[in-house]
Amino acid sequence: MIKITNLEKFYRTEEVETVALNKLNLEINTGEFVAIMGPSGCGKSTLLNILGLLDDPDGGSYLFNGTEVAHFNERKRADLRKHNIGFVFQSFNLIDELTVFENVELPLIYTGVNSADRKQRVEEVLTKMQIMHRRNHYPQQLSGGQQQRVAIARAVVNKPKLILADEPTGNLDSSNGNEVMELLTDLNEQGTTIIMVTHSEHDARYSHRIVRLLDGHTVVENIMM
Amino acid sequence: MIKNYLKIAWRNLWKGRVFNLMNITGLAVAVACCTLIFLTVYYEFSYDNFHEKLDSIYQVYNVANRPKGVEKSSSMPTPMAAALKAEYPAVKYITRSGNTGGVVTYGNQKINEDIHFVDPDFLKMFTFPLVQGSSNAALSQLNSAVITEEAAKKIFGNKSALNQTLLINIENREQPFLVTGVVKQYPANSSITFDVLLRFEHFPQYNADKDSWGNRTHMVFAEFNEGYDPAIFTQQIKPFVNKYYAEDLKNLKRDGAKPDANGNIFSLALAPFADNHFNNDIGIVEGNGISKTYPISLVVIGCFILLIACINFINLSVARGFTRAREVGVRKTLGAGKWQLLAQFWVETILVCLASTIIGLLLCTLLIKQFKAIFKSKISLGMLLEPAHLTGIILMFLAVTAIAGFYPALMMVRYKTVAVLKGKISGGKPGKLRNTLLVIQFTLSTLLIICTIITWQQISFLSNKPLGYNKTEVLSIPVDQGTRGADALRLMRNELRNNASVVSVSGAYMNFGRGNDGSSRRSVLGFIYNDREVRTHLQSVDYDYVKTLDIKLLEGREFDPNFKGDSTGIIINESMARELGGKNLVGTFLPMLDGKPKAQIIGVVKNFNFESLHDDIAPLTLTMLKDFEINYIFVKVKPGNLVGAYDNIKSSWHRLYPNATFLASWLNENTERQYLSERRLSGIFVSGAVLAIIISCIGLLAISIMMVIQRNKEIGIRKVLGANVFGIVMMLSQDFLKLVLVAAILSFPVAWWVMSHWLQSFAYRVDIHWWVFALSTALALILAFVTISFQSIRAAIANPVKSLRSE
Repeated sequence: MIKITNLEKFYRTEEVETVALNKLNLEINTGEFVAIMGPSGCGKSTLLNILGLLDDPDGGSYLFNGTEVAHFNERKRADLRKHNIGFVFQSFNLIDELTVFENVELPLIYTGVNSADRKQRVEEVLTKMQIMHRRNHYPQQLSGGQQQRVAIARAVVNKPKLILADEPTGNLDSSNGNEVMELLTDLNEQGTTIIMVTHSEHDARYSHRIVRLLDGHTVVENIMM
Repeated sequence: MIKNYLKIAWRNLWKGRVFNLMNITGLAVAVACCTLIFLTVYYEFSYDNFHEKLDSIYQVYNVANRPKGVEKSSSMPTPMAAALKAEYPAVKYITRSGNTGGVVTYGNQKINEDIHFVDPDFLKMFTFPLVQGSSNAALSQLNSAVITEEAAKKIFGNKSALNQTLLINIENREQPFLVTGVVKQYPANSSITFDVLLRFEHFPQYNADKDSWGNRTHMVFAEFNEGYDPAIFTQQIKPFVNKYYAEDLKNLKRDGAKPDANGNIFSLALAPFADNHFNNDIGIVEGNGISKTYPISLVVIGCFILLIACINFINLSVARGFTRAREVGVRKTLGAGKWQLLAQFWVETILVCLASTIIGLLLCTLLIKQFKAIFKSKISLGMLLEPAHLTGIILMFLAVTAIAGFYPALMMVRYKTVAVLKGKISGGKPGKLRNTLLVIQFTLSTLLIICTIITWQQISFLSNKPLGYNKTEVLSIPVDQGTRGADALRLMRNELRNNASVVSVSGAYMNFGRGNDGSSRRSVLGFIYNDREVRTHLQSVDYDYVKTLDIKLLEGREFDPNFKGDSTGIIINESMARELGGKNLVGTFLPMLDGKPKAQIIGVVKNFNFESLHDDIAPLTLTMLKDFEINYIFVKVKPGNLVGAYDNIKSSWHRLYPNATFLASWLNENTERQYLSERRLSGIFVSGAVLAIIISCIGLLAISIMMVIQRNKEIGIRKVLGANVFGIVMMLSQDFLKLVLVAAILSFPVAWWVMSHWLQSFAYRVDIHWWVFALSTALALILAFVTISFQSIRAAIANPVKSLRSE
């Protein structure tokens, strides 16, 4: 599904050039659950942003389902993103002005799904995430675990092929964290590819494979049994 | 999608209601004020546009290149119109036009009416359609009278006016006229106003002037054939000028006139009637024209205020945009396209603008009465429903939405998704744009403050400058139409002889300033003295004039009934003495009027401002010639009880003329009335400055609130490290104060240029002092500081633990 070759990314300030990704190679197959680990500043989030087409690489190739997407323009990237990729963030990133229902509905609006279908799909996914009873609440009225479940619901409502999760349990206590990991595992079992950045060895154990990054390149890959 | 946009927009607006309320207030005030202003300006520019043949009608005027400068005059000699039509084929129709008041008698009632004396072509040229009678025949007879619908109603009530006979008193002679037409009441934006049209042959002095090219008494309007190019008129008409104005040419040449670029020293020219309302350059015109400065300053100030409100909008939206950066990022990751985001933010802008426009228009309805009173505007809210104005409002709305909404929306859309999700933008930098816009706002505001101060200084200078005569204790009584002035004066003298509060009584042809009768007269005479033309204003007066007005006599004496020859004598002012080029002029004889004995100078008076302070004191000659009516009676009273004296004189007047109106006013009231347009301009500046400052400060307040929110943590840390309240207030204020200072300095040259230009129109004017600029700057700085202080002091005294704990 994803093949990146010699991927490079630099951050420049006036005096310093920092190499975030240094000729990184990585292949991820459809249906995999991959955890990306490494110390702060090793390029995990940068990698995730590039994989999610939120950021451009400075060099190398990025094949998504066989298509070179490294140099897609903004419009094409937005298009690819909204149909194929769901995001889950550490800080949830729900929109405060929208209710649970409306937050989850948003990706469907952007992909042009009609109103009746939207209602049906949002209700479906909210039920699955066991958050249906909170559909008319605003994010600030929910606990952290509930907020992250809403965020996951939002990420999957469009039935994306790929979910990118950036420390999804980072702001949660362990029991809520475990619940989130169970949800992700379920999604993966239903066929969604998942790439997750995490600091937690515990969370990483839910994945099939751990990619460890150091200074912008892969140091080791552990295959989980 | 739209529903979704609206829903989100509403929630966002509600969440930021404090800012949005400020935004809406500022914009609504701006919309209200711009609507009133633009309606007024539209109205001023709509003058006379109901005349179907407006574009082919011109007023004829002459240009004399006198040694002292160019002099334009639209007063024409009586035989000119007919000669021009006969000898210049491009003229299709031509009419003379002069006006006076006159008393119309029908049955038992006597009514003062405004009478226009015109030629029969008048009704063919101008669009005054007849509701009774026919345009071609209406003025065909010498005794024809055409009246307006309003006059018909006033005079005849519900009776048909056609073929009724009226008695009209012109120059104290009552003559019968037959009503041959009634014209549809003309609109209020007509420069030409009248109640009654009579043939020009009845114009005062017509018989004396009908063959004279020297006496110039009225206006001439001509309609030219279609496709005529008025630019060629002056050159083509040269032979006509040479033929009929030989005397003028000869005198001008003798006096050393300098020819203009085309080699003319005296020429005839055309002024388009379409510009009549703004024409104050050629002498007498129809109606009360205004200077174009007035509508132009209105438009400029209207645009300033709209711009300032838009700037608030932009600054506030951009500032609020920072707090919404994360939302933009999230939406982008969820697949929102650029246009979808732009549309979403724009919907919010449109809602705010819509609310502002509606509130603004409501405000308009509340303020229109005061506005009309202050600016002498004749607009009505009904005008708003005219298609042109509706379109205008929609365009203004779209312009504001585009200017104020597009940039902030674009800016938010441009946020880098990754950066905002990491929270890198929400810190917010002041931004060059915000600073530039703040500078623009305060430049405009300071500019208006300076203009306000200077106009105010000039007006108070005009009111307080000694004019060389007594303007506080002299009452000027206009003599009623249909009453002989000389008789009225004689009767009033007798009546007031025993009145203890009256010092002296006199009378004259011209008033000082503008009296309650609203007329102004001037009479200029040229004659040859020592082989050179001398031009002087002529004022016909009665005995005791110099004494009544406290004019200082420098030499000789004033008119005295005990000296027999005084009725043919003259008194001159200093300027006239200078013009005559000599001292010891008392006793000199001047050949002033053709066919009359030479007039002897019996006295010289100190210069006094007999005209407005726009003009230098011109040469003036006081005579006792009976050719000029006494139109005003002047009564000087003892200082002290002015009100009592007024009432006394009023009852004396009513004893003599029980039916006549008493239109008396003190001379200082009259002189004040000369500066109505200046007061109006100053009113515009004051209102503009106040609004500009208020709206700018609303914006500054909102920005300072935003800034305090953004710098909350910094303020907390500084306090923990030992900063005191004053230090923090200064830190938060100084960036803004620097901008206000820069803005003030930028406004100086513009203000100086504009105001010195304006002051040029006064012969007597104040100097522009440096302290005006300093004061305006100080005012702007203080207002800005006070505005910011509301927030900065609150932030500075807040407990730092609170702001730090949130991290």
